[in-house]
Amino acid sequence: MRPDDRKYTKSHEWIKFDGDTALIGITDFAVEELCNGNEGDLVYCDLPDADRVLEPGETFGEIESVKAVSDLNSPLPGTVIENNPLIEDHLDILSTDPWNKGWLIRIKPSAKTGSNLMTREEYEAFIAAEAH
Amino acid sequence: MAPGWNMALDEALLLHGPDQVTLRFYTWSPDTLSLGYFQKLVDVPPAHRFLSGDSSGPVPGAVCRRLTGGGAIHHARELTFSITAPLGHPLYKGPVEGSYKRVHAALSAALRAVGIHAEERGARTLASEREATGMCFHKSASVDLVWDGKKGVGSAQRRKADRVLHHGSIKLGTTALEGEIATLGANITAEELVPHCLEAMQAAFGMRAVPGEPSETELAHIAERASFFTSPAFVGRR
Repeated sequence: MRPDDRKYTKSHEWIKFDGDTALIGITDFAVEELCNGNEGDLVYCDLPDADRVLEPGETFGEIESVKAVSDLNSPLPGTVIENNPLIEDHLDILSTDPWNKGWLIRIKPSAKTGSNLMTREEYEAFIAAEAH
Repeated sequence: MAPGWNMALDEALLLHGPDQVTLRFYTWSPDTLSLGYFQKLVDVPPAHRFLSGDSSGPVPGAVCRRLTGGGAIHHARELTFSITAPLGHPLYKGPVEGSYKRVHAALSAALRAVGIHAEERGARTLASEREATGMCFHKSASVDLVWDGKKGVGSAQRRKADRVLHHGSIKLGTTALEGEIATLGANITAEELVPHCLEAMQAAFGMRAVPGEPSETELAHIAERASFFTSPAFVGRR
């Protein structure tokens, strides 16, 4: 069950507000597309350091699976506060818990919303349409 | 073409390419060792030796880094191809693994036409596997194409938000850096293999190929970016 407490993008990132900051991660669907159920297929993730300023939609990092490198895109503009130190050595948490332990970066957003953001229902309708 | 030119054109097609699928076939001059996007230089001993000025051993004439992932490839005695397409295209829609299966099914048909029976590796262990070389052909995934118990086609993808670049290397012969891998042997050239690949891909993808040349925009991108892919800053970034 995908959570209702966050917004989603067409490139399969999620953003969850947490006071003045927001956490960004990737969805279970994105992980499944990359590694097809083999969590060991995720091999590397490159994330930005604190203070990097992100434009909406800007690529903030990259994730590599055994057969593809994929961009990670920022749902909203903002400044990176921290990246998740667990990710580098524990990429498996993206498979086991993409919604909580598997967050990628925390930003201080400079906008609260964007036209690219979808609710859970809208995101699920989007990926259902993508499958056909 | 030169390594930087090849990589810059593929980048241009990834970033600014048309809505249609673009298929490129090419070779390299000079022979080039390309690193995967995330590879550490120290994990690819031949590249590390070459760039540190140690000329011992079978070092290649050039080193570059690709935008696509995976291991290092010695681009000598091979036909290289790239496919760029919108991610929503039926060829690339859905899981990464499925897109490899579709491309590899077409390549298998092309290889059958030249007498090679290539299959997905599946659960097999290959005679081409080697530890700690950093070379693409010494590691494999279940969807890789193999024959004679060895890996014969190297492949990797780069996915942006809405487009994909797919690289593939079909080996006509081996080199000292790659050793015991599956090849097509000495009876066919890269130029002779291209029509077979084109015909099989057109049939499999349901498309008709139209020959083309790089656009003005793509040529401008190449002029600006070609040196980047062989620069110490990018090759040595990790």
